[in-house]
Amino acid sequence: MESKFTEAHQRVSEDGYESECDKVAHLLDLMIDGEASSEEQSYFNTHIEECIPCFESHHKQKLLKGLVSGHLKRVIVPESLALSIKARIQETV
Amino acid sequence: MSEQTGKQMSKEEKDARFEAELLPVLDPLYNFAYRLTLDEDDANDLVQETYLKAYRFFDYFEQGTNAKAWLFRILKNSFINEFRKKSKQPAKVDYSEVEGYYNSDDVEGEGGVATTTDMRTESVQDLIGDEVASALNALPVDFRTVIILCDLEGFTYEEMAKILDIPIGTVRSRLHRARNSLKEKLEKYAKSMGYNG
Repeated sequence: MESKFTEAHQRVSEDGYESECDKVAHLLDLMIDGEASSEEQSYFNTHIEECIPCFESHHKQKLLKGLVSGHLKRVIVPESLALSIKARIQETV
Repeated sequence: MSEQTGKQMSKEEKDARFEAELLPVLDPLYNFAYRLTLDEDDANDLVQETYLKAYRFFDYFEQGTNAKAWLFRILKNSFINEFRKKSKQPAKVDYSEVEGYYNSDDVEGEGGVATTTDMRTESVQDLIGDEVASALNALPVDFRTVIILCDLEGFTYEEMAKILDIPIGTVRSRLHRARNSLKEKLEKYAKSMGYNG
């Protein structure tokens, strides 16, 4: 397990990133936002299967997004707002 | 009869179309305005102003295109151009105050108030929600904006780039920095609650 991780960690990719982990860190937001291409997705998923730190940062990033999307309370629109918008529009020529 | 010439619509037709296409966005738009201004009255004004502007330019709006992104863009521009000047110092929640509160001895009392399991879960949910809101509100408005657009409203990077008038690369880097900043604030809180970051 440990040797596998070290191997993945030290492998240098060809596209300018210092390490696979570095490249994966750059894909983190794309992944959790559903913006990664299928190539990027499979690269990412293959990597985090064998790299525990990257697996964990992916988990954390998803958690963070979930905190905002799932826990941030929505404010209630005042009932008068829609009415006053409609009224002002009707006045507008 | 040509449907494409919007200018030939009667006022009734135009108003009906306007209401049908744009008023359904009221809820997310108001929430966005509130997260930008952090004030309900200001949010109210900003949303009204946005709809009036949208009405004036409604002839240029192509039916069936992304009404939500269009309105968000107008609101964001109104906020930058006029609103920011008017309200010199937008109300800002001081995170350190909240932090101080949670660090105090009162923390242990929180769970004790709830009697049933359901209530307890609900109060914990509320607590998390409040904490996320405080952390988010303490971020600079540009950071807050990208997080709201992406995580709360589910806009794509491309839509965000259009709403904010910035390249997609900038959307990505801004979002990344915003999340790091938010993470930092929430990790402090998590640690104070006894979780390990």
